[in-house]
Amino acid sequence: MTGLASLTTVFPGLVWAMAALALVQASRRAALWRLGTAASVAWLDGLAKLPRRYLVDVHHVVARDAYASRMHAVVAGGLLAASVLTALAILPPLGGFRPYWVLVAAAFGVTAAGSLLVGARRYPEKQKRLSAGRFQILPVLLVAYAVGGTVTALLLAFGGADGLLAPLALALAAAGGLGLAFEVRHGPMRHAAAGALHLVAHPRPGRFEGRPDTALQALDLDAPRLGSEVPADFAWNRLLSYDACVSCGRCEVACPAFAAGQPLNPKRLIQDLVAGFSPSEPAYAGAPYPGGRAAEGARGPLARLIGPDARIHPDTLWSCTTCRACVEECPMMIEHVDAVVALRRHQTLERGSLPEKAVGPVTDLRQTGDPGGRPLAARTDFAAGLDLPPISVRGEAAVLLWLGEGAYDLRYGRTLRALVRLLREAGVDFAVLGPEERDTGDLARRLGDEATFQALARANVATLARYRFERIVTADPHALHTLRNEYPAFGGCYTVVHHTALLLDLIRAGRLKPGRLPDLSVTYHDPCYLARYNGETEAPRAVLDAIGVNRAEMTRSGRRAMCCGGGGGAPVSDVPGERRIPDLRMAQAAETDAGIVAVACPSCTAMLEGVPDRKAEIRDIAELLLQAVEAGR
Amino acid sequence: MKIAILLSAGRHPVSGAAVLPRLEAQAIRLAAGLGQHIGLHAGPEAAVVAEALGQGLAHIQHAALPEEADPVPALATCLAALAPDLVLAGRRGQGGAETGIVPYAVADRLGYPLIPDIIAAAPGEEAGTLHLDQSLGRGARRRVTIRGPVVATVHPDAPASFAYAYGQARRGVIEPVVGALAPHPAPVPAVEERPYRRRPKLVKGAPAGSSAAERLKAATGEAGPASSGRLLVRPDPDEAAREILAHLRRIGVLAAPRDPR
Ligand code: SF4
Ligand code: SF4
Repeated sequence: MTGLASLTTVFPGLVWAMAALALVQASRRAALWRLGTAASVAWLDGLAKLPRRYLVDVHHVVARDAYASRMHAVVAGGLLAASVLTALAILPPLGGFRPYWVLVAAAFGVTAAGSLLVGARRYPEKQKRLSAGRFQILPVLLVAYAVGGTVTALLLAFGGADGLLAPLALALAAAGGLGLAFEVRHGPMRHAAAGALHLVAHPRPGRFEGRPDTALQALDLDAPRLGSEVPADFAWNRLLSYDACVSCGRCEVACPAFAAGQPLNPKRLIQDLVAGFSPSEPAYAGAPYPGGRAAEGARGPLARLIGPDARIHPDTLWSCTTCRACVEECPMMIEHVDAVVALRRHQTLERGSLPEKAVGPVTDLRQTGDPGGRPLAARTDFAAGLDLPPISVRGEAAVLLWLGEGAYDLRYGRTLRALVRLLREAGVDFAVLGPEERDTGDLARRLGDEATFQALARANVATLARYRFERIVTADPHALHTLRNEYPAFGGCYTVVHHTALLLDLIRAGRLKPGRLPDLSVTYHDPCYLARYNGETEAPRAVLDAIGVNRAEMTRSGRRAMCCGGGGGAPVSDVPGERRIPDLRMAQAAETDAGIVAVACPSCTAMLEGVPDRKAEIRDIAELLLQAVEAGR
Repeated sequence: MKIAILLSAGRHPVSGAAVLPRLEAQAIRLAAGLGQHIGLHAGPEAAVVAEALGQGLAHIQHAALPEEADPVPALATCLAALAPDLVLAGRRGQGGAETGIVPYAVADRLGYPLIPDIIAAAPGEEAGTLHLDQSLGRGARRRVTIRGPVVATVHPDAPASFAYAYGQARRGVIEPVVGALAPHPAPVPAVEERPYRRRPKLVKGAPAGSSAAERLKAATGEAGPASSGRLLVRPDPDEAAREILAHLRRIGVLAAPRDPR
């Protein structure tokens, strides 16, 4: 029985050794995270909420890929259960109890099954979005650990531990298990350690409370360094979050810039940040930046990240539309957009190296309060012949209509005219700021010019403070997001409503009585800043249903819709790609055979209407509703 | 090489906000490619030119003057002390009190030559010389090689200015000029100010009453005086002289030659 006795110690001992090795590897990693700047973290709260964040929020994202979800549940659940059970067997009463080992064997068996599922994604050929490299060994290590563990546990359960098989099985389990623990530093298993800690110390805990925590955080303009130039400029929990990346490539599949062949791949971007602060990181083994160059430049916590000769080319940085599709899809809850904006802030504020074509609009924003350098008083020109009262006359109104930059655009003026006529029809008491309305500064902020944004925000907040209104209504989701979510940091707290939500209210209250337009076939394109940034996907659809159009959904819709390419200053940065994002989106719309693509944002209108050879018409929800109201008279 | 850039208190043509005039921002970019550069402003307030600190200037000297005082003597005094190789200025003012006359007046006072409308500057082969590329309009350029110090005004066709960098603006320095800068009374008789009105462009030689196409031709130089000359490339001096004389006679500056007897 000596063999059995020692095996009941050695086998659990192996798991304890694995734990110790994993701990060592994780703490070597933690030394790198500590290079980052300080961040305030609610540790106790985060720890208490970890299980919920993992089981609810992470699972919600993981479950979008049913196979991956099942695979992960089986393999991670099995691995954890088997390891914990084995570790507990160090206690003699358990280790000596044979039926206990049956239980352990079962857990290892489950792990083995899961390992095969992991392997099936990678062999004979790996799925396109996954990374190769060290990730290709993962199934091998898992199978070794699981099979070795199963056999060892079975031997302990049913005897035969003295035989020749026992050392072989144990050796196999040890090779696999220690391999897995070793991989916590540079390999695939890092995501487990960093991911769990990231969920505890997440920089946007609001995400887990069911509210869209999407506002960019205000930058302290008096800080000695503005934005992030080198990895050490990121907060430590941001560095930690990048380490959580499991290279699943879900973000890459969702990214419009990647699809358009622009030199951006969010997975690669995150991995470049990781490689930036971890000089001994193994080479990246996933899809590259489309058309981009191989990584160059020095690595290290103090090495410059952005530059033609640095790890990340400026074109990569400026390709991002800040659409948040990557964030939405990331099972590790990584905040790519925050990283992009932090890097942009440094480029813009400290180096003045905006993309050449973006300099003009940002300069105009700073000097005139409009990205086109147009007179503010001309914003209401679109409404010639309509009654558009300025709020300065009475000093108050129930609804303050925020016109936004779209008002200067001839095409979009049609939408706003429709909206104004609908408000009149419904007898809404509304007014506009007129020449007092400055741009919200959204463009400047997404392009990293936080100084201009803050100046505009303060000016607008001061203007708004002079008037009384119940809520702000706007047809521009970018303005909506900025006013609703980002102005509170500057002392402006308003109830901000998107025009589609207001119109739905008016229909439901019976103040608008639309007829039905059953002959129209419509598909609705969700604006990123409404759907993903603010979680509003239902009101526009409900309006369309209220006017009885034939509504079809695109494959990507709602919070998972694809961007039109119009956000984040991408149109002004204009980084060349192989295709154009709006063309891709219109092709997706064409798959529904709808004759009309309904939109709810001036940027989407402009981008989608600019698609050549488009078969479908582009109509704003307000325009369609007005048509229905007129048909109903 | 040392370059001084004259900065004026401009206003944005649309919003009226105090801004760095575009031409002066372009001047900074030209200077940045040449060497050590410094801004120079004479006027009551330094804050109005602080924007230049974010657009590539690290250092501005400010000569405080009362409102309405003539900036030219102060500028000339500062420049004499700085002894730059090149002085850059905008070719015209932009909404502020300064006008395009200032660089001429400064050059005159210092006895420097003035090269107007440059779009590029580079050091010449010989030490102390400069190549200045002038824009002559419609894409035509002329390279001038000159020995400094020289005043040059910048043309809008020069490369676009640097983007404004807030962080750099924070670090820039505005240094008051100390020393006696006796305020001079306003130099010119008070000028009459009227709101700007766009005036029709006078097209010289436009045939009155002719068709629109002919007027366009006259305006774009495909007909009329600009097209009537002959282009001589490296002509023989005699031939060139004959051509000049013929031209002067054609336009009535010289009398027709007397008949050879
Ligand atoms: S925000 Fe959109 S464009 Fe930017 S990296 Fe993510 S998916 Fe790509
Ligand atoms: S960033 Fe997120 S979505 Fe993208 S590869 Fe990493 S874990 Fe996957």
